[in-house]
Amino acid sequence: MYIRVKRNKSTYFIQCEPTETTLSIKQKLHLLIDQPPSNQQLVLLANNDVLEDSKTLADQKVENDSVVALALRKDDDDFEEVFIARPEDFMSSS
Amino acid sequence: MMGKGEAPAPREPEEEEEDTGGVVKLISAEGFEFVVDKKAAMVSNTLRNMLTSPGGFSETRQGEVRFPEISTHVLEKICQYFYWSLHYSSGKETTEFPIEPEITLELMMAANYLDT
Repeated sequence: MYIRVKRNKSTYFIQCEPTETTLSIKQKLHLLIDQPPSNQQLVLLANNDVLEDSKTLADQKVENDSVVALALRKDDDDFEEVFIARPEDFMSSS
Repeated sequence: MMGKGEAPAPREPEEEEEDTGGVVKLISAEGFEFVVDKKAAMVSNTLRNMLTSPGGFSETRQGEVRFPEISTHVLEKICQYFYWSLHYSSGKETTEFPIEPEITLELMMAANYLDT
């Protein structure tokens, strides 16, 4: 299966298995975004649950094609607010 | 087979395509980015040509392809289709691929361009 990890204007398609842990997803993201798992927070958009590193995707109701929001750690150590840009706000004038 | 535009200007051959970790970034008309596995992108014959032609496209080296004519909704749908298609061709049981009627026309035009 795959999930869609979104932040601002970016979407990462991540191939994964229901038996994988959240941490494993974060490690895959690490390769793409240069941010270690400890600086990532993943939120399942369907129910706004923050995903826990040690739990599996299946445990947390993350399914094929699920959308997961990514928040990164800010300088003050908190995580940023979840933000996913909408294409409607960027309609090109052409 | 090549789509319109994007003439493959001959360039001096690069050693190997730059290692972008096996992923490619597709960028929509509104500047939204979709990062997908190369394997998935190659479901599209147009993208396969871009990504595999030796020394060819600058897109190949940067691992980025811009689609100024494809809207974000449609491009996302296309990426979902890539993964659906991979799964389907692997022979596993699959559900039907859902397409919203509103985007059908635009999606078909994009699919035609991408030879998908």
